[in-house]
Amino acid sequence: MDPLMLARVQFGLTAGTHFLFVALTLGLATLVALVQTRAAVTGGAVHERMTRFWGQLYVINYAVGIVTGLVMEFQFGLNWGGMTKVTGGVFGAPLAMETIVAFFVESTFLGLWIFGWDRLNRWVHLALIWVVTLTAYLSAYFVLVANGWLQRPVGYEMRDGVARLTDLGALLTNPPAVLAFFHVLFGGLLTAGLFMAGVSGYHLLRRTAEVEFFRRSMRIGLLTLILSVFPAVAFGGMQFQYTQPTKSGSASRMASMVADFTARFGPDEYRAPALAAVGEALMMTAWTLMLVLALVALVKFPFGRWLERGRVFHVVVMLAVPLPYVAMLSGWVFREVGRQPWMVFGVLKTRDALSEVGAGRITASFVAFAVLFGVLFVVNAWLLVRFARRGPEGARLGGAPPVEASSALTPTF
Amino acid sequence: MEPLAVLMMAVFTVGYLVLAGADLGVGMVLPWLGRDQRERRLVIASFAPFFLGNEVWLVSAAGIAAGAFPGLEHRLLEGLYPLFVVLLVGWVVRDMGLWLRGRVDGVRWRGGCDGAVVAGSWLVALAWASVFGSVLFGGVGLNAGSVVGLPLAGLFVLHGAAFAGLRLTGAPAGRAGRFPGQYPATAAVLVAVPVVAGLRLPWSEMAAPGMGLSVTAVVAVVMLPLLVGAQALVWWTFRGRVRAPSYL
Repeated sequence: MDPLMLARVQFGLTAGTHFLFVALTLGLATLVALVQTRAAVTGGAVHERMTRFWGQLYVINYAVGIVTGLVMEFQFGLNWGGMTKVTGGVFGAPLAMETIVAFFVESTFLGLWIFGWDRLNRWVHLALIWVVTLTAYLSAYFVLVANGWLQRPVGYEMRDGVARLTDLGALLTNPPAVLAFFHVLFGGLLTAGLFMAGVSGYHLLRRTAEVEFFRRSMRIGLLTLILSVFPAVAFGGMQFQYTQPTKSGSASRMASMVADFTARFGPDEYRAPALAAVGEALMMTAWTLMLVLALVALVKFPFGRWLERGRVFHVVVMLAVPLPYVAMLSGWVFREVGRQPWMVFGVLKTRDALSEVGAGRITASFVAFAVLFGVLFVVNAWLLVRFARRGPEGARLGGAPPVEASSALTPTF
Repeated sequence: MEPLAVLMMAVFTVGYLVLAGADLGVGMVLPWLGRDQRERRLVIASFAPFFLGNEVWLVSAAGIAAGAFPGLEHRLLEGLYPLFVVLLVGWVVRDMGLWLRGRVDGVRWRGGCDGAVVAGSWLVALAWASVFGSVLFGGVGLNAGSVVGLPLAGLFVLHGAAFAGLRLTGAPAGRAGRFPGQYPATAAVLVAVPVVAGLRLPWSEMAAPGMGLSVTAVVAVVMLPLLVGAQALVWWTFRGRVRAPSYL
């Protein structure tokens, strides 16, 4: 395979794996924070247990998001040196802000949240999960600022063949970034809502002892689905006015842009690959199915008993858990494949963005990371299912009682 | 603005090497400090609450490089491509070993995860040693220094053992005490190595054109007190010596 395709597939696999887990992280963090808030305010035991159970699943899920994110950050420099050279001066700024302003705080406080259970004051501990949630959103925003600039470059000028950042405000308020952020925000909530409803459906279907626990969780999940399904599509739809003419829109605009590019950059296939349209169709199909489910959920929602007993509904909700994932990944295919042949639209072609490191190195790193992420994906998906099936009693998060510094003098084996 | 950006680059790189260098080092000597799986869990607990907060210093250093010195990314990552692939693979393997260790209750599972932590820690440390060797030797790309620098990985071992000696109690602490070196001394060397290596790099040639560099530098300077404060809260919360296993 040629190195360009390998590098693209590698980035696609890394970003795809990253996003599968990050989508749930974003939404589930929010729901865990809300449940923990309820637990802190009312002191209710069931909400305390819900925090631990859903928090445990959140933490399992989070770990894969981190490690794939690390590899992504370095992959820009490793495989896409041409992009760093030409546009690094603009594209790097939001990435820098993401790491310093958002991820640093998120990760530090997540560690404190996980390990500080029962050691910290209840309100401090609650504040931590909210900081983690808000910085996760901030992180998503900055990453989408970087991505939005690839879709619609603004706030820069080219001088001596290199892009220079000239207008930070334009970069940070670029509509493909801001709208995509809200699109992803509600997409993450859809993912978490259906995940929570699906896991609850499994336990209610199996008639496990935790009826109240999972009836409440089911209600939270369904409410999240109902509230997010329209905003998700609205913020997606609003982005169409900024979509590249070579991807969708009127044929005349497309023809004039292709003519313009051909005049400036030479002949090339400037129309988006057909795969982009497949992604768009798949995303809309998945959304439509979620909409139908949300309408059914709206009817059933007020009746708690019905939620406990509707066995067909439990199965349907479980089967619907993959829908937001399908929508997310196909949405990314629509967005990113649809940008081709450009890395930065109208500025830098993907093939010119590739590092000059030789096919051997790119192949070796492709194989190494593909195998590694394949294993991680399988192991963590298996663990998520395992801990989800085990139920609240299996949650180890915050389970270890704190040992007072004064009591023991030797390690407690 | 450029000296300020270089200073921020140095602060975050040094922060990573001193803080995460300790948990890397503990990972490298895990089989020597903990003789069975229960002891090893205790040894891992010496850095468990900190490792998430430690590795973000490197993530931020890479972020500052992306924002302020794209040329550095280009020079190091593209020039030393195989070393950074090894570093990343080691990092991922190690982190997953840590995260997954407690997820399944089985002797072989925990043994495998311990193996991943040890192997991953060595890969990361050796990759860093080779990166520093390559830069100190002065060439662009892989050079003789990439091999000559490898023994620098020993620094992480000493630093980790010194850290474990401060954090642990009982037999594992005793074993950590047999390694030479005190924490302040090993930390000082881990500050000196990247600073000397950094002096050899042509920063002006690598700087971002336009306002990207200033934006990154200012954001880093403004955020730094807050970041240190957040980390200090973690250090303070877990300041006591480890006497019981943690979540991992």
